[in-house]
Amino acid sequence: MIEEKELVSALQTEEAKEVAFSQLVSKYKERLYWQIRNIVLDHDDADDVLQNTFIKIFRNINSFKGESKLHTWMYRIAANESITFLNKKARQNNVSMEEVKQNAINRLESDVYFEGDELELHFQKAIATLPEKQQMIFTMKYFGDHTYEELSETLGTSIGGLKSSYHIASKKIADYIKNNEISND
Amino acid sequence: MKKNNNISGFKTPQNYFDDFEERLFQRIEEEQFPKSSGFKVPDGYFENLDEQILKSVTQNNSTEKKKVISLIPKKYFGYAAAIAACLLVAIQVFTFQDENPNIESIQISMLDKYIEDGYLNINLYELTNYFEDSDISGLNIDFELIPEGVLESYIIENMDGTTLINEGFNPFE
Repeated sequence: MIEEKELVSALQTEEAKEVAFSQLVSKYKERLYWQIRNIVLDHDDADDVLQNTFIKIFRNINSFKGESKLHTWMYRIAANESITFLNKKARQNNVSMEEVKQNAINRLESDVYFEGDELELHFQKAIATLPEKQQMIFTMKYFGDHTYEELSETLGTSIGGLKSSYHIASKKIADYIKNNEISND
Repeated sequence: MKKNNNISGFKTPQNYFDDFEERLFQRIEEEQFPKSSGFKVPDGYFENLDEQILKSVTQNNSTEKKKVISLIPKKYFGYAAAIAACLLVAIQVFTFQDENPNIESIQISMLDKYIEDGYLNINLYELTNYFEDSDISGLNIDFELIPEGVLESYIIENMDGTTLINEGFNPFE
């Protein structure tokens, strides 16, 4: 915590900003990347969104008020940028958000940066059927291993609400996998 | 016979047993889930990422500064400021006709000269601070002339979500 406060202080000081930002990137790039990737699915898209996220962080760090922790603030920006990216893609292609996600899922099998087996593919397909917020909660908790406290601060939802959402998402995914196993027999 | 009541001295978190079964069955359910997402990254991606991001941020920072284009070309500032100042005076004059007769003695030509001589040193946006709501309440702006889709697209393209987040906006509500 003290380390984070010192980092914020350096980030908000003109002379120390660039060095501090470099440390920030080094520390959080992978966590943010995987958070984004689990939403947008495609590596190139995740790379774009990650760059946008860090640009936004750099540009807005001076207005960071410290009401939340620095890392939860960054996760929230990353989540927002991911959703904005998908929305923009939907508008540009004149399709719905669901279609954008479905297209991304359809490309997964032939994606060189997806090396999952059949179960992992089904798993991703199941996750893609979840509503936006539920998907965010599930992927951040399951893959990102965020605590419910962190998620609550990041997404602005109560811990009880998050647990409930996660539980429902988990059940839906389990049902999807089970039904697909049956249909493939 | 004495009750065997927590003689170990240990305690559990509050409500620990209340949702124990739910948590347990969830864990059992998740046992069938794969541990990995199946995603991978190009070789060396994370090693080269720092440099790429720092370059991107620096480029974007300098591009941002160049992108600021004045809505009104600077050469017209003087004329625009003069017109705005005249408007301001006119509003004051027509609104406060019963007020101090000294206001009526200000000649527009004297005001023009004042501005042309470069004494006026405020920008248009500062001038708008002097407008009262009553000055613009009579304006008739037809928002229907702006197609909804165009307005929505403009906001989505140009909105900075991080500024909204900093002001307490939650995109997930």
